[in-house]
Amino acid sequence: MRHRTGPPAASDGAPLVSLRGVTRTVRILDAEDLHVLRGIDLDIHRGDRVAIVGRSGSGKSTLLNLLGLLDVPTEGGLFFEGADARRLGADERARLRGSAVGFVFQQFNLLPGRTALDNVMTPLLYAGGRQFWRREKLAAAMLERVGLGSRLRELPQKLSGGEQQRVAIARALVRGPRLILADEPTGALDLDTGAAVMDLLDDVARETGAALVTITHDVSVAARSQDLYRLDAGVLSRQVVPA
Amino acid sequence: MTAFVASVVEAFSELRIHKTRVLLALLGVMLSVAALTSVVALGTMAQAGLVQSSERTSGRAATLGASVYSATGAVDTGSTLAAYDDVVERYRIGYSSVRLDTSLSIRGPAGVVAAPTTIIERDYGVMRRLDVVDGSWFTEVDEQRLAPAVVVNEAFHRLVGSPDLRSAPGLTIEAETPVSATIVGVLADDYAEAQPQAFLLRGQAEQWDLGQDQGIPPALELWVPEEIADALTARVQGDLASQLGAEAQVYRQDYAAQGDPYAVVTLGIGGIAGLVLVLGAVGLLNISMVTVKYRVREIGIRRSFGATSGRIFFGVMTESVVATFVAGVAGVMLSVAVIKHPRVESFIAQGVTDLPPFPVGAALIGIAAATAVGALAGLIPALVAVRVKVIDAIRY
Ligand SMILES: Nc1ncnc2c1ncn2[C@@H]1O[C@H](COP(=O)(O)OP(=O)(O)OP(=O)(O)O)[C@@H](O)[C@H]1O
Ligand SMILES: [Mg+2]
Repeated sequence: MRHRTGPPAASDGAPLVSLRGVTRTVRILDAEDLHVLRGIDLDIHRGDRVAIVGRSGSGKSTLLNLLGLLDVPTEGGLFFEGADARRLGADERARLRGSAVGFVFQQFNLLPGRTALDNVMTPLLYAGGRQFWRREKLAAAMLERVGLGSRLRELPQKLSGGEQQRVAIARALVRGPRLILADEPTGALDLDTGAAVMDLLDDVARETGAALVTITHDVSVAARSQDLYRLDAGVLSRQVVPA
Repeated sequence: MTAFVASVVEAFSELRIHKTRVLLALLGVMLSVAALTSVVALGTMAQAGLVQSSERTSGRAATLGASVYSATGAVDTGSTLAAYDDVVERYRIGYSSVRLDTSLSIRGPAGVVAAPTTIIERDYGVMRRLDVVDGSWFTEVDEQRLAPAVVVNEAFHRLVGSPDLRSAPGLTIEAETPVSATIVGVLADDYAEAQPQAFLLRGQAEQWDLGQDQGIPPALELWVPEEIADALTARVQGDLASQLGAEAQVYRQDYAAQGDPYAVVTLGIGGIAGLVLVLGAVGLLNISMVTVKYRVREIGIRRSFGATSGRIFFGVMTESVVATFVAGVAGVMLSVAVIKHPRVESFIAQGVTDLPPFPVGAALIGIAAATAVGALAGLIPALVAVRVKVIDAIRY
């Protein structure tokens, strides 16, 4: 299963995000600095399907947080749609993140006690006028899209893992992000369910022309991508996508 | 604008989720606010009652009382009254009344009784805030009557057999030639066992020569602005003394003469109320802190979906303020319900003729205090929430 054919023009032009010589170092009390990421160069364009693999602790989530503007590099350049992330204030990054990035987490990270609909509406609380006022409609439509149109009022704990991840996907996509970041989205799911979730992610990403970056341990998930990278002790290298 | 609405929307949905915990905390706030509001309301009402009865016994602020006496013998009543009139005219006093406490012999159903009677002028009703329960206080028309008009208190009214005022009940005042008077108004009694008391207008007392022969010197009461009370006291005293060639005594007789005596009451009430509220605030703060700790992950998730730190801060604050505002309104309602309960009300009403309504000020103070508590109790958790590190919060 080679990568699906996306809109050909989508990959052209300036990159959506680019990293230039990025390092990320964390200070640890009474110990040497920990170099989580070293000298990373990476460009992600609209419509790209990127998979990142690597051992536990190799820095995958740290890299994803940088791509999603949750974090800034210790050194090197991070450009989001041409804007230098280090020059953006925390609030500007938050607003840009809200409008341009959608996160999908391994543990779903749904807000407990809130219905599927409420969960999907959450990002719209931080959106501008139109999206905010139409939040219920938009969220319901998105849940419909991921096949949960009949479970709008369900609480997360009553949904299966696959269903929860679909709610999370609806939440990540409800503001129409240009970049979808998925951190081991199938990690908590069985093989078949995981495949179905990945199909869904691929489809919605393709429909909207968003770039999809997936962190995974699963070879079959990696095989869906156009571009495959491996992180090894903080060093990124390009891999051949397995046939 | 959208951000504000969105924050409130978010706050409401948060409150829905944490119902039980929030409800318990808010119960505390609600009770504190109810206590605060009740204390302030009771204090205000009691004070209003006290002021009311003080005004009835000694006049409003500032009331000057003047009287004259002589070491060598009685001062002539006629010239005293003339001197009083001069004072009222000279200083253009807006409200004034002579006052002569005397007693009249009244023929009642049970024979002739001596009834304490005060001879006054029309302004006296306003100066003492006298309330009638029936009929009316003296009007201009009463001064023109062919028979003297009297206003009596309820005890007096009962004494003469509670006649219906609409029938213009007559009253015989025993004098050299008995005079027939008409009761035109009935005043509320100040307290349960009040003595019978009648009021007679000065003009009519003079015209029919009633009650002026008992050797009691008349007094003068002046209701004047507080600012000029002291200056006027000295002037009036000097004028009366020189005009009559006698000793004159003029002094402030109203309850506020020595500064507002109820200021201490107000202060005490404020202190207690403040303390009650601080306790409520600490309880709420405690719960809010726990809530925020429990929500660190959730805050991280929200931030990953674009919530700015401002929104997180404002969200936690709004949640706290919205909740305490609602609790405040509920507390005030509870307080009104308790204080306006007939049993409680009749207890408070003892000794006060007309009970003041529930003070709006107390209700506003209650709600404002609740909101302030919400803001204060929300501030620290909001600061904690803002400092949540997103990356750590969503790490698993
Ligand atoms: N803020 C931090 N403080 C201390 N150590 C950190 C911090 N952030 C990352 N690290 C360390 O950096 C390394 C990389 O972390 P990261 O979460 O990126 O790994 P990962 O590749 O996502 O691993 P996994 O597959 O287990 O999720 C880990 O050793 C982690 O302990
Ligand atoms: Mg990870």
